[in-house]
Amino acid sequence: MASAETLVWALVLLPVAAGLIALLPLGGAGRKALFVPVALVMAGASVYLTAGVAAGGPIAIGLPHSWDTVLTVLDFALLAYFIYAGLAARHSLVTGLAAAGALGLAYLKFARLSGYTPAEPVFYIDMLSAVMCLVISIVGSLIVLYALDYMPRHEEHLGLEKSRQPQFFLFLAGFLGVMNGLAFADNLLWLYFFWELTTLCCFQLIRHDLTGEAKDNALRALWMNLLGAVALLAGTGLAFQQTGSVSVQKLIDIGGAGSGILLALALLCFTGFTKAAQVPFQSWLLGAMVAPTPVSALLHSSTMVKAGVYLVLRLAPAYCGTTLSDMIGLFGGFVFMVTSILAVSQPVSKRVLAYSTIANLGLIVCCAGINTDLAIAAGIALIVFHAVSKGALFMAVGMVEQHIGSRNIEDMEGLRFRTPVVGAAMVVGMLSMLFLPFGVAFSKWAAIEAAGLEEGCFLVITAFLAVGSAATLLFWAKWTGRLLTAGAGPRERREDAPGLAYLAVTGLVAGAVVLSVFIAPLMKRLVIPAQVGMGYANPFDLTAWNLVTANGSFTPWALFIACAVAVLLPALWVKDPEADGTAPGYLCGVNVDGGDEKFWSAGGAAVPVATGGSYWASAFGEEKLTPVFNWAALAGLAAVFLGVIL
Amino acid sequence: MTLTTVLTALGALVLAPLAGGLLYGIDRKVTARLQGRMGPPVVQPFYDFFKLAAKKRMMTSRGSGVWAWAYLLLTMTAFALFFLGQDLLVVVLVLAFAGGALAYGAFAVRSPYAHLGAHRELLQMAAYEPILLLTVVMFAMETGSFTVCGVLAAAGPLLPALPLTFLAVLIALGIKMRKSPFDIAACEHAHQEIVRGVYTEYSGRYLALIELAHWYELVLVLAVVALFWAQPLWVGALIAAGVFLLELFVDNLAARLRWSWMVTAGWGLGIGFIMINMVLLRWLA
Repeated sequence: MASAETLVWALVLLPVAAGLIALLPLGGAGRKALFVPVALVMAGASVYLTAGVAAGGPIAIGLPHSWDTVLTVLDFALLAYFIYAGLAARHSLVTGLAAAGALGLAYLKFARLSGYTPAEPVFYIDMLSAVMCLVISIVGSLIVLYALDYMPRHEEHLGLEKSRQPQFFLFLAGFLGVMNGLAFADNLLWLYFFWELTTLCCFQLIRHDLTGEAKDNALRALWMNLLGAVALLAGTGLAFQQTGSVSVQKLIDIGGAGSGILLALALLCFTGFTKAAQVPFQSWLLGAMVAPTPVSALLHSSTMVKAGVYLVLRLAPAYCGTTLSDMIGLFGGFVFMVTSILAVSQPVSKRVLAYSTIANLGLIVCCAGINTDLAIAAGIALIVFHAVSKGALFMAVGMVEQHIGSRNIEDMEGLRFRTPVVGAAMVVGMLSMLFLPFGVAFSKWAAIEAAGLEEGCFLVITAFLAVGSAATLLFWAKWTGRLLTAGAGPRERREDAPGLAYLAVTGLVAGAVVLSVFIAPLMKRLVIPAQVGMGYANPFDLTAWNLVTANGSFTPWALFIACAVAVLLPALWVKDPEADGTAPGYLCGVNVDGGDEKFWSAGGAAVPVATGGSYWASAFGEEKLTPVFNWAALAGLAAVFLGVIL
Repeated sequence: MTLTTVLTALGALVLAPLAGGLLYGIDRKVTARLQGRMGPPVVQPFYDFFKLAAKKRMMTSRGSGVWAWAYLLLTMTAFALFFLGQDLLVVVLVLAFAGGALAYGAFAVRSPYAHLGAHRELLQMAAYEPILLLTVVMFAMETGSFTVCGVLAAAGPLLPALPLTFLAVLIALGIKMRKSPFDIAACEHAHQEIVRGVYTEYSGRYLALIELAHWYELVLVLAVVALFWAQPLWVGALIAAGVFLLELFVDNLAARLRWSWMVTAGWGLGIGFIMINMVLLRWLA
């Protein structure tokens, strides 16, 4: 299928090429002229590719063996750069891990794999890859468009003399291609190459602003991801030893028989955990929030961190039914719970979003570990829903930050009225992360039902999910409530109209709602085919657009109608209080001049009213909880590896 | 979904306010007697409701009115789903949306008291939510089904197998009924506070809506309690009634706890009970 091959190459190489062209001094308008068509082509190509895979089955693409040499050269060039970066920053951990990677790769390539020519294709694109590709190409492209509006303002704010946008867009756009390559790769060596490239993009983009903090945090992200890459190499070597191949599909086909293969799988999952910033590696993702917002939105919420969970999910059939699987479920559930709890005490919006991202990735890992038909469906669906909602929320926070000059939730009081479009988008985006008719909560529902009926350690997983879910309610609802407060200041006018940014935010929020309403067709067309391709069965009876499982049922459209009646109808219907009677807020009866903006203090002074959020740091504070959680997570990781032996 | 279930659900939607209002009347009577007072007539909540509903419409912000409606309608949605025999987990999660709406209503006004109440309301929800979710999971483990229909069709009563889960539900019930020691956001009859948390900025018609939603909520949680003994259902109903009276006594015996105690009780004791229940079940089996 020649056209499919062209599409695959276009999805990998086009964004990289566009990024390279963006190195030319194009200026804002030129970059828009370049990236808007590229974004459209990417979105179109991903849809077309998915349709092709859905109709014609998985696509396998081989490469001539001369490419292996190119790959080797590029691999070592990358590692040499990482070693250089470590030496330049005098960061021995980065240097050491990059050197270890280089040695490991050299051993693997020249000692173990010398003379080996893989029989399997380099790329293997099934529906799961296609779903990832859709997320990367559509959500990712929208975020690139957003960046076109965001970055000029960002640089204006920083007061740079020489624009650093060319490099920025090279890594941002190039990243989309790299990510697609990662989703398509079947050969573990190619997977490793793309994996290291995402690490490079991540490193460069986090340190983009070149402040001390940015550089430090970039190095932290670098060493943690390099650690994961070393595990990936070890896993590759072990997989080759056990299966005689470096193909992921071959590894999955042979499956978890024997502790050698299980250890390889555990190592690959560990790689996934580092990329997905699972506790105790969460600090790199939290630190990454110093980067410009498009970076947070693209790499650290909607796509790059998904690479980690994608790998864990992809391998799920291989470790299905093993103790390793149970341990992965426990670990993921634990991460979901603790990061949700940590998010409660955060007043900085981007940190809340970051913690919530780690929590949702933990939930996906947990779904992979539960490893039933329903759980895998929940995991794949969550990849899609989380990317859409969280991408939108990150971008909205970025716009708010540029507008009000703060990323603190306390300063966002009444945003729904001060900046109506972005404020409303944020409220809907948060509701879509939290409450039921929407897709993210659907995945939570499915995960709990999937874990609920299993025996053994699964009750602990369910308890993790239940407590984590309660904590998400706390931090989302109090933030949403803060945005909804009326009368917290005049409406703020925006002089410029960043059209692409508005388009990206509102488009994704609308996408979150529409996808949630049409969750049954989404399941039927994308999620179910993806998991059937992985070897799982369809857990749903989708008659009449309901999602009925053997033990439970979910009726999205009925719930949507009910919730629309419950929330939207009153919103249209309840009249403004001015029309009837309005009463000032209660201030113990000492309101100044009958209003509710000031009250008389005991000393007779007119004191302005202030409201504030609660963060309960005494109970949920980071300083207290993070060390405990990190140690517990380390124990969890140890349990994952112990699961190999048991 | 048969016609009978739809009719049952419709009937329940119509009758629940009557039952809920009466229960709150009994609550006030019993509480008064416990405190050595005469107490109002049992139908007092209905008088209050109609009086509130007939008052002039006053509010401090449009949002609080919108979310009061949303609170009522979402509670009714959860209620209807339950009596349609739908998925219990969905019922619990929709109920969480309803609770969120109540908090948003309080957040909609720039009032320090309402905001404090809203935060505490969210803490209450966070404290009982895991208990309800895990109780549903325990039901499913015993009956093999997450739906109300499935639980009703089970062979025998659940209480003998799930006694500790039942205890955990009592904690959740206490929080949900806004009874001491868990009435930290605002208790039902304002016996410990001067300013009523989430309800501070409500009056007249919108307060009536919230009262009505409480009635639905009470009947719904008692119906969940009744599921512990659904064969025959009248035993379950008796148990629910007994539990309701028990909460009234506890309310009058206990003082309000700090919020951290409440969260510890919900997450520690509640979940602990359920886990021990589960372990014992497997161990004995």
